[in-house]
Amino acid sequence: MGTPKAALEWHGSTLLRRTVGILARATGGPVVVVRASGQDLPGLPPGTVVVDDPREGKGPVQGIAAGLTELHGQAETAFVTSTDLPFLHPAFVSRVLTALGAPGAGPDVALPVARGYQQPLAAAYRTGLAELAERLVKEDRLRPAFLFAECAVTRLDDAALLTDPVLAARDPDLDSVLNVNTPDDYRAARRRPAPEVTVRLFGALVKAGRPASPRAVRAATVAAAADAVGLLFDRHVTAALNGDQITRDPSIPLAAGDTVFFMSADAGG
Amino acid sequence: MPAGGYFGRALVVDAADGSATALPLSDKVLRGYLGGAGLGTWLLHRLGPPGADPLAPAAALAFVFSPLVGTPLTTSAKFAVVAKSPLTGLLTDALASSQFAIAGKLTGYDAIVVTGRAARPSVLLIDGDGARLQDAAGLAGLTAAEADEKLRERLGRGWRVAAIGPAGERGVRYATISHDGRHAGRGGLGAVMGAKNLKAVAVRAATKVSPADPAAVLAAARDLRERSFGPATAKYRELGTLANLLAFNAISALPTRNFQAATFDGAERLGADHGDESPAGAPAGAADSGGSAPANPRELRRVARSSCASCTIGCEHIYRVGGGRKARVEYENVFALGPMCGVAEPDAVLAASARCDDLGLDTISAGGTIAWAMECAQRGLIDAPWLRFGDAGALLRALDEIGAMSTPLGSLLAQGSRAASRAVGGGSDAFAPHVKGLEMPGYEPRTLPAMALGLAVNARGADHNRSGAYEADLSGDLDRAGGGAAHVMAAIETEDRAAVMDSMILCKFLRGVFTDPFTEWAGLLSAVTGWDVTGDELRATARRIVLAKRVYNLREGWRPADDWLPARLLEEPLTLASGREARLTPARLRAMIDGYYKERGLDLDGRPVARITDDLGLA
Repeated sequence: MGTPKAALEWHGSTLLRRTVGILARATGGPVVVVRASGQDLPGLPPGTVVVDDPREGKGPVQGIAAGLTELHGQAETAFVTSTDLPFLHPAFVSRVLTALGAPGAGPDVALPVARGYQQPLAAAYRTGLAELAERLVKEDRLRPAFLFAECAVTRLDDAALLTDPVLAARDPDLDSVLNVNTPDDYRAARRRPAPEVTVRLFGALVKAGRPASPRAVRAATVAAAADAVGLLFDRHVTAALNGDQITRDPSIPLAAGDTVFFMSADAGG
Repeated sequence: MPAGGYFGRALVVDAADGSATALPLSDKVLRGYLGGAGLGTWLLHRLGPPGADPLAPAAALAFVFSPLVGTPLTTSAKFAVVAKSPLTGLLTDALASSQFAIAGKLTGYDAIVVTGRAARPSVLLIDGDGARLQDAAGLAGLTAAEADEKLRERLGRGWRVAAIGPAGERGVRYATISHDGRHAGRGGLGAVMGAKNLKAVAVRAATKVSPADPAAVLAAARDLRERSFGPATAKYRELGTLANLLAFNAISALPTRNFQAATFDGAERLGADHGDESPAGAPAGAADSGGSAPANPRELRRVARSSCASCTIGCEHIYRVGGGRKARVEYENVFALGPMCGVAEPDAVLAASARCDDLGLDTISAGGTIAWAMECAQRGLIDAPWLRFGDAGALLRALDEIGAMSTPLGSLLAQGSRAASRAVGGGSDAFAPHVKGLEMPGYEPRTLPAMALGLAVNARGADHNRSGAYEADLSGDLDRAGGGAAHVMAAIETEDRAAVMDSMILCKFLRGVFTDPFTEWAGLLSAVTGWDVTGDELRATARRIVLAKRVYNLREGWRPADDWLPARLLEEPLTLASGREARLTPARLRAMIDGYYKERGLDLDGRPVARITDDLGLA
């Protein structure tokens, strides 16, 4: 495609920035980016951990091993994804992670079988699998199937995934797993509109020309949502996503069904 | 020769006979404690007898001014009232803005401290002729506003009055002191004044005070005034603090039905936001004043805006109350008398707020105590089946019974939720909404974890003005469902900023205009006083003031267990709109408190080590 996938633009963001943001939103935990040694990456939010893949060209299990190794000890479970899923939804991430269950009690891997295919790069893993994955790479058994053969895997088909009402409402076609492999894929992805989100302004941010009532807009980032209602997202403004996470970061990605509350940064007495 | 902006002395008045003496205040004391809440703390250490009952004659009641009062600096016409609180038994300091601050300071003193008890209901007069008592005949039972009006008619031009309402006269432990419609509200200072048999204190300017560098002060005042018109104060100017209500409701930070929830289904009726049809800056609902259909779909009716003395922000938004009356409305009184009590009728909430003003009651403590009582009634712990969440009539009846202390229930609730829960028992202390006896403001600790720490450790008790840690929670820099070292540092930073702003004194609504606050405040203080103050020095001053309050509280019986939150907040999680659970566990709160103690240089129990106490200059 002429440009590394990580740097491909999608509605004002890069695929990597979007993926990192979606994972951070869904997990609340650390996000690790595994890259080829020395690879240039587009801008990432503060706190993102970048690790170099020690052995290039070894395929997905090597990347999984590097990421799980970095997270082992910090987190019990991890969602592993490639960077080319522009429609990945936080609700999909949450649904898959939930399938792992409590520490020590559930399976080792929650593997979606969505839209007819296994999705090892949109799956949840226990970080304790890092050692097994490392061994498989050393043995040159590089396909995810080798990993799944040696641990407990729960498979989630479309119906199982869509038992989650939030996911069913916001990503009913499981577009979360649509990836961008070819220039045509990328062009098709770009033709699709930004996610529909609901914006509401509070307090003094409501001015002439800006709505006081909730308004549906198309926006892939917080900045785009602000722009859609004529609001400058500067230091005097904060955004609350779905009544929860508060941010001043305009590049935070939005997903279908999100609600964005814009408030004065000096909220409080 | 005192520093610019100061007289270098306090007037100490014995209310028993009106006699007064001047207490010299050295430059070291003034530079170390500035004025307002800081200097008031020093004065309480010096003049408040250890262990004295707050309502005993010996207790000290200090009206403390600041070096900035009387300058053209915006928001500087403020003063602090400081005393041992009858609600908490610890230090309380309440700030307010009005011409009383200017007239009081220009009596020629940096503070007026009242001890003793008048033999009969009296008014304390202070002007260039000194202090004297006047019989309060005809003032008993009047609202503070009525007493103010009557006294100014009686005394003539130039007098400014701080008065108490019926609740202060009767000793309600969260009674206020009021002046020009503003209130020194928290901690029961009105009860302290009432216990001294003083219906009012009246002051009249008698002299002048000059800043060290008038030209620099004037230039700073112009600059600050310009900045006060900018976006950092837009919320206060355009909607007032009531703008918080809908935003807090949206992020599950609006305490509801005695902290049983953090969102209120009636919030939309009580919010102040502009309606879609309102023109920018126009008072919402103004078109409804003639009885036509409202332009704003919300029901509160804002009719005017005004400012405190010497203020260019203009945060006071005046609403129409029933019976043709108007009332100032703030987020805290709507929160406490609305969602906290489950009341969604705008007219009822405004009426309750006006009733608190008339009686002279702190709205936060009144609402919190009544909300606790409503839950007790719901659980069958008190025999008051009429006292139900959401019942506006019950709310008003409870306020009247408290203000009059006319029934056993009114007398019980007049003690505040901590004392009342001890009397009622039945586990009701677990949901009594207070810290150290002071009822909680409208900030949900389970979804605002830095604020949870600020509320727990603050000297005054559950307080949003001495700890503004909610700013950090709402900044986007911290995890609202977390709580760690970053939350600790944020709580300390906001506590330090408040200590300086409350002592210089500048209104905290101005805080957003400063980009390097301690340095900028040092510049203002230097221009007024002539001292070469630095930002680092002011940071040390802030820490000194915070610790001096803690040392005072230790002297008056503070225990480590007092730095804590109500059990409900640590045992009952909330679910955010996103579905995520917000849980504030005892272990997480403990860890944040331990971190706070360590950063403040306190021991594991929260006591200052001897070296720190020696450095406070309190001896």
